[in-house]
Amino acid sequence: MSRFAQVWRTSTVRLTATFIAIFVVFAILLMGFIGWQSSVQIQRQQTDDIDREVRLFQRIEATQGIRALAFALNRLSGQPGPGVYYLGDASGQYLLGNMSDVPPDVLIDPGVYSFDYDRPDPLGEDAVGLPDRPKRSGVAVVRSIELGNGMRLVVGRDVVERRGYSAIILQSFLVGVVGIILFSVVAGGVTARRVLKRIDTIRDTSTKIMSGNLSERVPITKRNDEFDGLARNLNAMLDRIEQLLQGLKEVTDNVAHDLKTPLTRLRNQAEGALRDTASPETREKALETVIAESDKLIQTFNALLMIARVEAGAPSGALSEIDVSAIVADVAELYTPVAEDEGIEISTDIAEGVSLRANRELIGQAMVNLLENAIKYAKPEDGSAGKIAVSLKRASGNVAIVVADNGPGIAEADRSRVLERFVRLEKSRSEPGSGLGLALVNAVARLHGGSFRIEDNGPGVRAVLEVPGS
Amino acid sequence: MKILLIEDDREAASYLIQALDEAGHVTHHASDGETGYAMASGMDYDVLIVDRMLPRRDGLSIIESLRAEGDKTPVLILSALGEVDDRVTGLRAGGDDYLTKPYAFTELLARIEVLARRSSPAEAATNYSVGGLSLDRLSRKVERDGEAILLQPREFRLLEYLMKHAGKVVTRTMLLENVWDYHFDPQTNVIDVHMSRLRSKIDKGYDNPLLHTVRGAGYMIRD
Repeated sequence: MSRFAQVWRTSTVRLTATFIAIFVVFAILLMGFIGWQSSVQIQRQQTDDIDREVRLFQRIEATQGIRALAFALNRLSGQPGPGVYYLGDASGQYLLGNMSDVPPDVLIDPGVYSFDYDRPDPLGEDAVGLPDRPKRSGVAVVRSIELGNGMRLVVGRDVVERRGYSAIILQSFLVGVVGIILFSVVAGGVTARRVLKRIDTIRDTSTKIMSGNLSERVPITKRNDEFDGLARNLNAMLDRIEQLLQGLKEVTDNVAHDLKTPLTRLRNQAEGALRDTASPETREKALETVIAESDKLIQTFNALLMIARVEAGAPSGALSEIDVSAIVADVAELYTPVAEDEGIEISTDIAEGVSLRANRELIGQAMVNLLENAIKYAKPEDGSAGKIAVSLKRASGNVAIVVADNGPGIAEADRSRVLERFVRLEKSRSEPGSGLGLALVNAVARLHGGSFRIEDNGPGVRAVLEVPGS
Repeated sequence: MKILLIEDDREAASYLIQALDEAGHVTHHASDGETGYAMASGMDYDVLIVDRMLPRRDGLSIIESLRAEGDKTPVLILSALGEVDDRVTGLRAGGDDYLTKPYAFTELLARIEVLARRSSPAEAATNYSVGGLSLDRLSRKVERDGEAILLQPREFRLLEYLMKHAGKVVTRTMLLENVWDYHFDPQTNVIDVHMSRLRSKIDKGYDNPLLHTVRGAGYMIRD
């Protein structure tokens, strides 16, 4: 495709063309209106002029007599200009004036007329009645009157000049429109080229990204125009995509690592059970281990799937008005004996009757994950008794579920990292668990339009799940 | 017990049929939805095990048709779809229980045995007794050999559920679902802890324990 065709196809050019067309139509309407108005105005002026002259001639005739009138007419007829004059006798026969032939109607019936006539050369000194002189056809607007003695006087103006004026208007209008069209085409083309150039840079960048270089970014100019706005948005989007891909890569790596270990154990157990020397008891034990290990794997996969589903968005129709107070209290009650067996005390401070539009199972699961986590880690380093505080509060339109423990806590640098899938800190590697619990809580919080964060409980972890209240 | 299994996965089906046979149940098998529906409406079964995704006709539509015809045979839905609302739609279609694949056979067995019992009239009893242990659902009193036992409300419901299904294996997930109404997997032994508390209240100091742990499956209360 040629460059020109490319420019022609841009929306800028099409827009420009549309606007030119609209502009031309309006210009024609405007010019037409102006032309019509000025011709009306000029016509009225001419009629006024004619009437004034007619009155003047009447006065001359009345005060100074027909001779003076004839003299004045003769003088005016000889002057160059648009004035046309005709004086005839009572039968309309031509006597003098620069117009020799007047239609009979005009002479018979006094009034205002417009007619074609043979116009003498306006520059001629003695213009009247000379057949060998070249004649041009003209249009006259005249008023005819009958003088006191029955003679006919016709006074008028040649309107070719007026037509000339209209022609000037038309001409300037044409020049203007052509100019505008030329200018618009050039300006539109230039704009389109400019736009195209900016878009080309964006397209080039996206091509580079598509071919694998995800760190490429759309250049931003200093103009700070709408393209820069677009470029900034695109770059922000690319940052987010790169981040997500990075996250995905980490998750894949972690899945591979975290699943390979139990799979290896599984295989070793099965192999051990098959060994010839294995006793029936070892076989049975090995098989039990195999089942337990695969159950754990299934659990990990279920958790992964659940996070993926929750992150993909709300399960349709699964949000309903639920009593959060009851759920939090229930789960705390469910885990109290477990905590007691571990020598940990759970205290609760749960606001009554807090309801939310949420998914009951997911909020319950999140609560379970938080408590299981807290029970695992509520072991103070100084050897004192573990304590877990569960609270549910309404705060500034939000509902906050807080599970706080007095364990060793999480270093500030790791607090957001533990919300990612499979991230397990060094000291918890020895504990059972998949590293998915907090990731699920995080996903649940986001699904409900809320947030999940780990704060310092000095010492310990304060896990805060905050969801906008309904 | 006479069971109809509607499942298109042949390997899973043959494993299930064999395991159910070993557990003493007669199992008929249909490998697609149309055949399954024809068999279910033509014969009398104690329990139907219906896979949710089947060739020719899907599981939920079979259950809906059976229910519309007034067939009240208990149905256990098997599904690879384990989301909360999948379970809800399954139960809404007329299923009585929902089990997500992959599952442990002991879990499936425990559930169908409880389901089959559900259709018998023992449901409405106001008090249960096992050995010397009795539970009155109206007065909410529990006694063993005439001696009152004080239980927390949740412990009462736990015991009530176990005694309602006395002599049957009840799995941990069944307890979590029916006593706490939650459908998630707890990572820790949370149910075991509650059971050991309950056991210490009803069995401690008696020679014959009533509450038994069934290894690899769950719990059972029996004489």
